[in-house]
Amino acid sequence: MFFFPIVALLFASAQAAILTLHTPKVVVTSATGSQLRSESISLTQPLSTPVTLGKTDTLKLTFQIVEKDGGKGVQPHQTFLRFYDETSGEEGVQPVRVTNGGKAKFELNMARPPLSLPPTSDAPLKVTLMIGSPLHSPLKLELFDLVVPASQTPPVHPEEPNFHPLPEIHHTFRPDQKMPPRPISAIFSAVVVAPWAVLLALWSQVIPRVPYPFSPSILPFILTLGAFEALLVWYWVGLKLGQALSYGAVLGLVTIFAGKQALSKIGDNRINRK
Amino acid sequence: MAPKSSTPASTNVVQTLWKAYSDHTSDRLKFIDAFLFFLMLSGIAQFLYCILVTDYPFNAFLAGFASTVGQFVLTASLRSQVNPENKNEFKEISPERAFGDFALGSIVLHFFVYNFLG
Repeated sequence: MFFFPIVALLFASAQAAILTLHTPKVVVTSATGSQLRSESISLTQPLSTPVTLGKTDTLKLTFQIVEKDGGKGVQPHQTFLRFYDETSGEEGVQPVRVTNGGKAKFELNMARPPLSLPPTSDAPLKVTLMIGSPLHSPLKLELFDLVVPASQTPPVHPEEPNFHPLPEIHHTFRPDQKMPPRPISAIFSAVVVAPWAVLLALWSQVIPRVPYPFSPSILPFILTLGAFEALLVWYWVGLKLGQALSYGAVLGLVTIFAGKQALSKIGDNRINRK
Repeated sequence: MAPKSSTPASTNVVQTLWKAYSDHTSDRLKFIDAFLFFLMLSGIAQFLYCILVTDYPFNAFLAGFASTVGQFVLTASLRSQVNPENKNEFKEISPERAFGDFALGSIVLHFFVYNFLG
């Protein structure tokens, strides 16, 4: 029951009339009016040689659409010329005006090409005629190959660069800073170390009275202070921060005790002296 | 007043000041003063190098200069706290406590300086 309309449609199309072309002809004229080529197109196969158009030539295609049995002229609902480029895959479809009696005429003037013509490539355009009508079975005829003058390259879309890899970025870096020349470095090393000599000279003149530096209550403090400085130098040379801090914490505890002891001893000495 | 150019009067003033200083300052304070003077020279020398030649390892310059400045500050405060003439200013801080503070501050300063030295 469901299939009945489909079967009826198929039945109707099987019985539909077949269309054919009557006197299809292609004529190429130059701008001056002289005929460059004039051929009638066979219905069984396309033209053997491609039709070549110059920049100022005009191509004129004429035919009449008739029913195969009876020869009555038909104005179908759809009559299209398809220009297809096999290598690039581009195609353009041009509707063709057909009169009531089925007569059609299509003119292609290369001075003002129709918009449906696809951009050219190496291969010639295949021109096909496609006719569609609800009362007849469809007709598709390969007419001929068409060679047209090269088209201008299409304009580049303003956003085209965004769809390709962008140009590679070349970073420029500030040049490495250089050390000053060796003699200057040597001179200024001497200048910076010189204050130590001044300090030693001054200290040699004013050695203060240090009471009991080696007594057992004061010496550990001095030693732990020295050990702290040694730990810091060791940290600068090789130790890592975590290790240095943990060693420093341990040493700090020891120093606190030694310091308390030493400084209280010195304080007592000072008070006793007073 | 007489102009302060190198007239005998001004050199006399400097000499008197120097004599007063060396006579009335205890040896311990002079010891600390020598250290202060050394720190000042060292800082000036490093700063001159940075201005005149290059500050190329800038972290090294900062570490060295900061070490002299920081040590100068710590030593100056130790000197003022240890000076017996200032006893009324620092009633709660005994000289031993001052030295302990000085030692702790110096160690922390040295730690940061070595960190930055690179």
